[in-house]
Amino acid sequence: MKIPVRLKVNGEIYDVVIAPYRTLVDVLREEIRLIGTKKGCDVGDCGACTVLLDGKPVNACLILAATVQDAEILTIEGLAANGKLHPLQEAFIKEGAVQCGFCVPGILMSLKALLDTNPTPTLEETKWAMAGNLCRCTGYTKMFKAVETATRRT
Amino acid sequence: MRFELLLPRSLPEALEMKKTHGEKAGVLAGGTDLLVLLKDQKLKAEVVMSLSGIRELNFIRDEKERGVTLGALATHGSVAASPIIRQQFPDLAEACFQVSCVQIQNLGTVGGNLCNASPAADAAPPLLLADAILILASTRGERSVSIHDFFLAPRQTVLKPDEILKEIFIPEVSGRRGATYLKLGRRRAMEIAIVGVGVAVHLNGSDQVASKCRIALGSVAPTPLRARKAEGILTGQEITDQLIEEAAEVAAKEASPISDIRGGAEYRLDMIRVLCRRAARAALARAQGKQVEV
Repeated sequence: MKIPVRLKVNGEIYDVVIAPYRTLVDVLREEIRLIGTKKGCDVGDCGACTVLLDGKPVNACLILAATVQDAEILTIEGLAANGKLHPLQEAFIKEGAVQCGFCVPGILMSLKALLDTNPTPTLEETKWAMAGNLCRCTGYTKMFKAVETATRRT
Repeated sequence: MRFELLLPRSLPEALEMKKTHGEKAGVLAGGTDLLVLLKDQKLKAEVVMSLSGIRELNFIRDEKERGVTLGALATHGSVAASPIIRQQFPDLAEACFQVSCVQIQNLGTVGGNLCNASPAADAAPPLLLADAILILASTRGERSVSIHDFFLAPRQTVLKPDEILKEIFIPEVSGRRGATYLKLGRRRAMEIAIVGVGVAVHLNGSDQVASKCRIALGSVAPTPLRARKAEGILTGQEITDQLIEEAAEVAAKEASPISDIRGGAEYRLDMIRVLCRRAARAALARAQGKQVEV
């Protein structure tokens, strides 16, 4: 039996009717059609589905959509504000930190959460913040560089 | 993964639901274990009851003079960051900070970590060191169970079908105490412990003689366990390197590790000795008031 669920994503309210066992990543992608959030392993190992729940990075594949109706959800689509890219996004472009791009939405969400609480992280802090995000192109070095660039600017 | 979802808004409502559905209802807290098991079909549940709507269970409370209480929904991330926990139980903060990665720490709860009853549960050894008390609730009332009696076997606890874990109470420590938790993995993050060792040393008067000692081991037996004989060796005597060595040997003898994908039994025994020695030295130094990073 499907149930009505109300989600607040990137400041917008979305009303969907879904099976109660559907995960947030599936509902974001298949119902709300925000496909920036990626689905990789689906068991919390790869971090591709990372979104911010009340400002904190979490795996959207390990959350039942019906259980986060009171929360503010931020996805990669909500990262740019007023038509302007987030400094992290600009830095990723500038430093060529994107290869295939599949992991990047998740990584940017993890890094946004890091910079929100720690505007000038050390390399070790950046690595720890990204430890739950796998990049199969193994392109971490340029991402670290991009964080450096972004934090110098802000 | 298909099930009926229950979304209680209060603890009494949750307890009524648990009474009605009993064993059929899987209890969902952070979801980092339960949803993975359900997706992999290693576990079947007709009904899942999410505790997420019960705000009264999400807290870390300083009980002043008495201790600290963790609500069932306190996450690893919130416990690791809590000033009260970091100050009074740095070993617990260290254990929670070593769970997987940021995303998982933000979802997974300490209560869920215990109820999942994995021998590798990182939160278990520090709570064994601190003689934590688990408050189990049902419509019949509440009961307190010592963490030493909570685990029965892998994935089995003393929780009755109509009960849920409501709170974890960590009693106040009197006098000087130093403790640490060390986790061995192949890498820093995204790991399940190959071996986990916690040691707590209590000092009373002398800087070298432990009035009380606790050693807890993870991933080396069917449940997290206390190495009681090894504790005995470190208690009431001047702690020397030789005594620590001896205690580490005995701790390894108290374990019964298996060989699995993460490590061989023999390797685990060896690593218990190594981690025990390191943890005991660090715990002693902390009890003496020294700053020790592990």
